[in-house]
Amino acid sequence: MSDQTPIEKIKYGLLKTIDVSGFKVFDPVVRLFFGEEPRKQLGDISRYMIAPIIFVCCCMLFWNFIAPRHKTKSGEVPTPKQVWNALVTNDTLDERENEKESDFQLSDEQREDTIATVTALVAEREKKSEELKAELAEIEAQCKKEQGEALEPLNQALAQLKAENKKLRESRAAESAKISKAIAAKEADPEKLLEYLRNDSEMTLAEKDSEKELKDKIKKIRDEEPKRLKAAQLASSQVANEVQHLKKRLDYLSTGNRSQKVAQAEESATKALGSLSSADSPAAILAAAKSVVKSEQRASKISEQEYPRAATIWFQVWRSLFTVFVGFVLAAAIAIPVGIMCGLNRIAMACLTPIISVFKPVSPVVWLLIFQIIVGAFFPNPDTHPLFVFLNGLPWIGALNVNPALIFSACTVAMCAVWPALVNTALGVSSVEKDHLNVAKVLRLGLWSRLTKIIIPSSLPLVFAGLRISLGVGWMVLIAAEALSSSDGLGKFVWDEYQNGSSHSFANILLACFVIGIIGFFLDRFMIVLQRSVSFDDGAATV
Amino acid sequence: MAQDELDLEKDSLKFGFIKLTDCAPIVIAKEKGFFETEGLQVEVIAQPNWKQLLDNVINGELDGAHMLSGQPIAATIGFGTKAHIVTAYTLDLNGNGITVSNDVWEQMVENEPALDTETPQHPISAASLKPVVQEKLDAGEKLQMGMVFPVSTHNYEIRYWLATSGIHPGMYTSEDIKGFTDAEVELSVTPPPQMPSALESGTISGYCVGEPWNQQAVAKSIGVPVTTNYDIWKNNPEKVFGVTKAWADENPNTHVAVVKALIRAGKWLDATDESGKLINREEACRILAKPNYVGADYEVIKNSMTGFFYFQKSDKREMPDFNVFFKYQCSYPWYSDGVWFLTQMRRWGQIPEAKPKEWYDETAKKVYLPDVYKDAASRLLKDGWIAKSDVPWDTDGYRPPTKDFIDGIEYDGKKPIEYLNSHTIGNKD
Repeated sequence: MSDQTPIEKIKYGLLKTIDVSGFKVFDPVVRLFFGEEPRKQLGDISRYMIAPIIFVCCCMLFWNFIAPRHKTKSGEVPTPKQVWNALVTNDTLDERENEKESDFQLSDEQREDTIATVTALVAEREKKSEELKAELAEIEAQCKKEQGEALEPLNQALAQLKAENKKLRESRAAESAKISKAIAAKEADPEKLLEYLRNDSEMTLAEKDSEKELKDKIKKIRDEEPKRLKAAQLASSQVANEVQHLKKRLDYLSTGNRSQKVAQAEESATKALGSLSSADSPAAILAAAKSVVKSEQRASKISEQEYPRAATIWFQVWRSLFTVFVGFVLAAAIAIPVGIMCGLNRIAMACLTPIISVFKPVSPVVWLLIFQIIVGAFFPNPDTHPLFVFLNGLPWIGALNVNPALIFSACTVAMCAVWPALVNTALGVSSVEKDHLNVAKVLRLGLWSRLTKIIIPSSLPLVFAGLRISLGVGWMVLIAAEALSSSDGLGKFVWDEYQNGSSHSFANILLACFVIGIIGFFLDRFMIVLQRSVSFDDGAATV
Repeated sequence: MAQDELDLEKDSLKFGFIKLTDCAPIVIAKEKGFFETEGLQVEVIAQPNWKQLLDNVINGELDGAHMLSGQPIAATIGFGTKAHIVTAYTLDLNGNGITVSNDVWEQMVENEPALDTETPQHPISAASLKPVVQEKLDAGEKLQMGMVFPVSTHNYEIRYWLATSGIHPGMYTSEDIKGFTDAEVELSVTPPPQMPSALESGTISGYCVGEPWNQQAVAKSIGVPVTTNYDIWKNNPEKVFGVTKAWADENPNTHVAVVKALIRAGKWLDATDESGKLINREEACRILAKPNYVGADYEVIKNSMTGFFYFQKSDKREMPDFNVFFKYQCSYPWYSDGVWFLTQMRRWGQIPEAKPKEWYDETAKKVYLPDVYKDAASRLLKDGWIAKSDVPWDTDGYRPPTKDFIDGIEYDGKKPIEYLNSHTIGNKD
């Protein structure tokens, strides 16, 4: 293709990249950019890009329309905007952790400067907070008053109704007593009393119903939460939270600051040193020396202290990705060799078929519980177990705080993700063309060469197709596993939010839904790239 | 400086908690820097349920946790998971409520017209619930209610409340570990945060749980709290801070440092101004409302934490002692508290065979570690953080006998057998 101009080279390069990465939708955009058949490309763009975008927008509009109209007792369905706000809030929480972490580590002048800024900020926000609080109190009083006004006539009506009904009941009771008397005096038929009482209980029920109707009305008014009250609460909460955060920052800048704590420890070491030189009795000398050593040790220990970060959404995302990666690698490490064995040997296949068929449909939840018991036994003391000490000592991975719960979740992912890869590998290996194998026989290739030169290369597309399914399954399973094992990650984020049951929880859960979905999408694309790069045909699916 | 005296064996710790407001001392000790003052770096991690929390403490994943008072005792005597768990700090008193669904509440009001006002008189007994239970039984069903754990205070409280009005809540036997034997009301385990949704979906018709889950029911109008455990037993012990015996033995100084921080947190939470108003509770609510702690709405947490309790939207009452974190020398690990839980375990058959009187005392002494508490308290006293009267220095570990129960039966921790025999429903020895 030496007759291609450089521009064409770029163009076809781009097109190839798009194709391999499975973003074929962008193909007409590139072609249009290079001026190739603009009419056709515009048509394609409107058909395959603009139409889906419009459709998604319509879905969003529908969501936006339906959400506030669908109320449940557990809360309102959040609108797209609320979900977006949830994202912003979560990001703010993450940002706040960053700030506190850096405050904890700051020292010297920087620390003092930051103290000055934060103190000023606290003063300003506190003032604002007080204002908002006053405003909130005012609105609260107002709403209460309004509610009271709305309730007043209803309550009166209810009291009146109750009194009336009571009177009616009493008069009926008197009447029935009268009838009984008449019956006793043989002046009336007992049937009459029965008739009267039947009637009476019906009337009582009807009266109760009318009371209930009023009570329901009252309840409805009580349940109504005025929008402006909610908004005021939210606004006041937001600023109050900020003030609280800023005050905590001040803590981390002053008494909780690492450099301050080290300085303090060092100071007490110097002091102890002083008392060592002035001590005269052997006991005092020993005590002072011990105290010097202790203070020194403490100082060095403190200087290595890290800020204990609270888990925020981005941390959870990274941890989930790491967990699914571990599980996926485990799954692949089991599935590929076993799959090759099954594909090569029909007896092996026959042996494994019952195991695969029985274990494949088992729910991840069951696997998790099993792994908790089996794998948990290997880590009686996770803090000092060499595996965790090693993993948590690594850069990056150490920050993810690897613990047994992560291992259980990863094992669960592996257990559920192993099957598609295994079955596909076996299929890929068993469907290697006979001709190729015959050639190998003719060439008298050894088993190893046969494997690496012929079998594996020609079964790779199917293996990767299997791995792609595995990763998808693994990502789906992971969320459930994390929720159940309370291993930090997106699953735990969702579960915690469900447990929080606050007015933001629903929005956070929906946010997690999108985050999980989008990450799943990119993982899938990533696998497509891998799959495409080992396939020879262009026919592999891109959806 | 305080921590000069303590040679910490371990300075980076992980504590577990369940999303309930009574985890406050642990959260406050972290957020207000009391742990840091002791030289401890503490991570506070939410746990999905009590079972997993206990498992994580036993398997070493957690150093210690916010536990139900019954948990260390039950684990130590081997009801459920067996492990020697000890406690040196009681986190709080009271703080639970019993909530019934709107439907059941309406029937209760029907049965007891006196309840048909916006502010019915308390305590409300289960007497008006009895016809509801009976009606269900006649229809061949049993009323379903939720509690949080077989050995939780809630389980014993709701059983006490039901049994006082002659409703049999069921016995545990060695075969029936669900406690349904002879039950007229079936009590099943539901994790606290799931209570409101279980109530709303109708799986249960009522529950006994800690805050904020009763206030949540009011806020969402899905149920009506009928009584709090303050009415069932005034100032009953609720949660403790539990660690394994092995951990306590390995880290004696760290344990003291942790208890010191917790005492300071308890004291901070119960601090009042001259007029008796709790001054720090609003800030505490603000902290607890963070999503990584309790995470419920600030307004909901505030309802019960600041000395009030909403029984209905129209029925807000002052309950200054709804949550007690430090007053009444409550954070001290009383043997008599342990004995009460043991009597309840025996009463409902969780302890299958009769035990001698001495056994109660011995078991309580195995679990409660007042020495650690006193050590921590004396250090705080020396540094002026607490007052001399905050701690019962010379006690034998038993509170004086009390009749502050809904049925007025006297409890004396030194006479467990007599106490057991004074009830109508349940095992007697």
